[in-house]
Amino acid sequence: MPLDSLFKKRIVLITGKGGVGRSIVTAALARAADRRGVRPLVCEIGDDPADYSPLARYFGRDRLPVACEELEAGIRGVVLLARTGQELFLRTALHSSTLARAALGSDALRRLLSAGPSFREMGVFFQLLNYLKQTRPDGEPEFPLILVDMPATGHTLSLTGLPDLLLRLMPRGPIAAALREGQSYLNDPERAAAWVVTLPETLPVSEALELLDGLARTAMPIGGVIVNRIPADPFTAAERTALKPLFIEHDVLGAEGFRRPDLAARETARLRAGTRLPIYSLPELPHTGLLEALASEIDRTRRARPSMRP
Amino acid sequence: MKKSAPPPRPSRPPTGVSVTPSKGPESKEVTRVGDLLRTKRIIVCCGAGGVGKTTTAAALSLAAARAGRRVLVLTIDPSKRLAETLGVSRNPPEPVAVPAERQLLAGIKAPATLEAWMLDHKLVADSAVRRLTKTPEEAERVLNNRVYQQISTMVAGMHEYTAMEALHRLVNAGRYDLVVLDTPPSRHALDFLEAPRRLSRLIDTRALSAFLPRSDSLVARAASKLIERILGAVFGEDFASEFVAFISMFSGIFQSLNVDVNTMRTFLSGPDVAFLLVSSPAPTTLAEAHFFQDKTREFGLPFRGFVLNRSRALNATKAFPDSSQLRGLEGNPDAATALRGMEKLQAMAKTELEWANRDLALLRDLETRAGENATAIALPELPQGADDMGTLISVADVLAAS
Repeated sequence: MPLDSLFKKRIVLITGKGGVGRSIVTAALARAADRRGVRPLVCEIGDDPADYSPLARYFGRDRLPVACEELEAGIRGVVLLARTGQELFLRTALHSSTLARAALGSDALRRLLSAGPSFREMGVFFQLLNYLKQTRPDGEPEFPLILVDMPATGHTLSLTGLPDLLLRLMPRGPIAAALREGQSYLNDPERAAAWVVTLPETLPVSEALELLDGLARTAMPIGGVIVNRIPADPFTAAERTALKPLFIEHDVLGAEGFRRPDLAARETARLRAGTRLPIYSLPELPHTGLLEALASEIDRTRRARPSMRP
Repeated sequence: MKKSAPPPRPSRPPTGVSVTPSKGPESKEVTRVGDLLRTKRIIVCCGAGGVGKTTTAAALSLAAARAGRRVLVLTIDPSKRLAETLGVSRNPPEPVAVPAERQLLAGIKAPATLEAWMLDHKLVADSAVRRLTKTPEEAERVLNNRVYQQISTMVAGMHEYTAMEALHRLVNAGRYDLVVLDTPPSRHALDFLEAPRRLSRLIDTRALSAFLPRSDSLVARAASKLIERILGAVFGEDFASEFVAFISMFSGIFQSLNVDVNTMRTFLSGPDVAFLLVSSPAPTTLAEAHFFQDKTREFGLPFRGFVLNRSRALNATKAFPDSSQLRGLEGNPDAATALRGMEKLQAMAKTELEWANRDLALLRDLETRAGENATAIALPELPQGADDMGTLISVADVLAAS
């Protein structure tokens, strides 16, 4: 099934426009990963540690921790802050800790890092790289699967396009070295993938196709598309034919639900026609217990086929 | 209302169907969305990404133009189809009028007009450079700088800054009665206001001078020497020197920007301005609304209302389906099929009624939260999108009557 490949990567960027359920899909993928025996790290990009976090809510918190912490059994989480990554990088790049301390103590430099061109994205990038590189005593990666809930389309494109852009400007030096190392993960289809989350509706599908176009222009490998909230269709074809005339005369409750499966099918077909990438569908489920239901759904489709684990 | 407020214009009686349940006699007229779009000079639409902010901004401007005003909508990242509808899909360098036949179709009569502009950050940044430099040669030098070309639009806060810059310039141009601003997509509704502050912190002259080699005092020289070493070690010597060149060219421009960021804050807190929060029904909507209200109060900005988009609240008044609505059941061999379908439809209707009531309760909560000086209205869910003129007109009608 199309999602299998996702769990074999080291880093997966979950992207898509707001309101499509990106955060809950990220959380559900994390639970499903844990059930496959891959310990996931979930991340989001924050501007401020005090920011409100939609992803954290699914783990019963107001925000994700600034240092990696276990959110629930088997799932660790962290908020990626530009500042944390920048500090980390300065310490590594400057070698001398005196110089690093002086740099971090410089008001001018701190202001530059908080607003200067692409420095914020760079900070996030280095922090991600740091998590990717950490190993356990046995040599295995400390964070075998990093799932990033990307905040907005623009961020995804600037983060994925960043190494190329900056390498053109500074082909040598410590940043260049770190960027190349980051690229070795992010541009490697074996290790990285961006997945686009969307809804089976007109505007979200158009936006997903535009985002795929944008991603295709960067070196980031694309895993596929997750179509969230596919509505169930309880009606048989004969029942549909029998009911249809009713809606011409009456604007009744239920009419929207009656029409939505058609719209969803049409829009999913348009998506399929617009991309050759794998498409994975998630059903529309009740609000209560949604996270667990989605995680089970992802898990169920795996078990329907020969499984690695009993 | 403050003393500096413009004389109130005669308000027209609202037409169409109001979606806001009546708030009773104590509700003030100035807080109605229909009145805001007839009287204000600036309406800023804030909201998280994906809530339909761009569409709402387009519909608000359309409604104002239909009400006889000269309107400009500044949109950011519209869908391809909406950009086509507004006539900005080719990314013009200046605002353009919505094609005449479409304005005619929408019932916009001269001198009223609807213009649109899609904010392109690079374009706005370039034009700011041209305006703020002293000579054309200096402008060319900046525009040709590699650092500027590659990453000027990645300066944090630049998108938000360019949006404000364009708004300020176009409002003062005097060509429009109303400018509607669609703010850049962000997780937080008010990033738009916070981000330029980061930019203005950077462009504080004292901070910038540390990066320049020509400081006067010994202490300053020592500091810039240190920064030079750090930049060299981090970026590599080549880029560090190019970067310093970029900063020194920009320092003059940045100083002019610095003034503008503060000017614009003041400008946006005036009585002619209305801030609206666009959101969609979600468990987090109320929390977001609360946050937004607090922030606008903190910044001293005129918060005027919540627009609850994609709301199913309006469905609460629809009829419940029943088998009497099915025709020709008698003697029809397929009657059983139709009745089985009806049972399923009724189950669906029950769920939709629950959703409708939930969204209605949310709208009522928002109304309570809005208080005396603001409003809360609902716009219906349009699963097919609202990026064509016909649908936009119907949304505009709802807004004008709210």
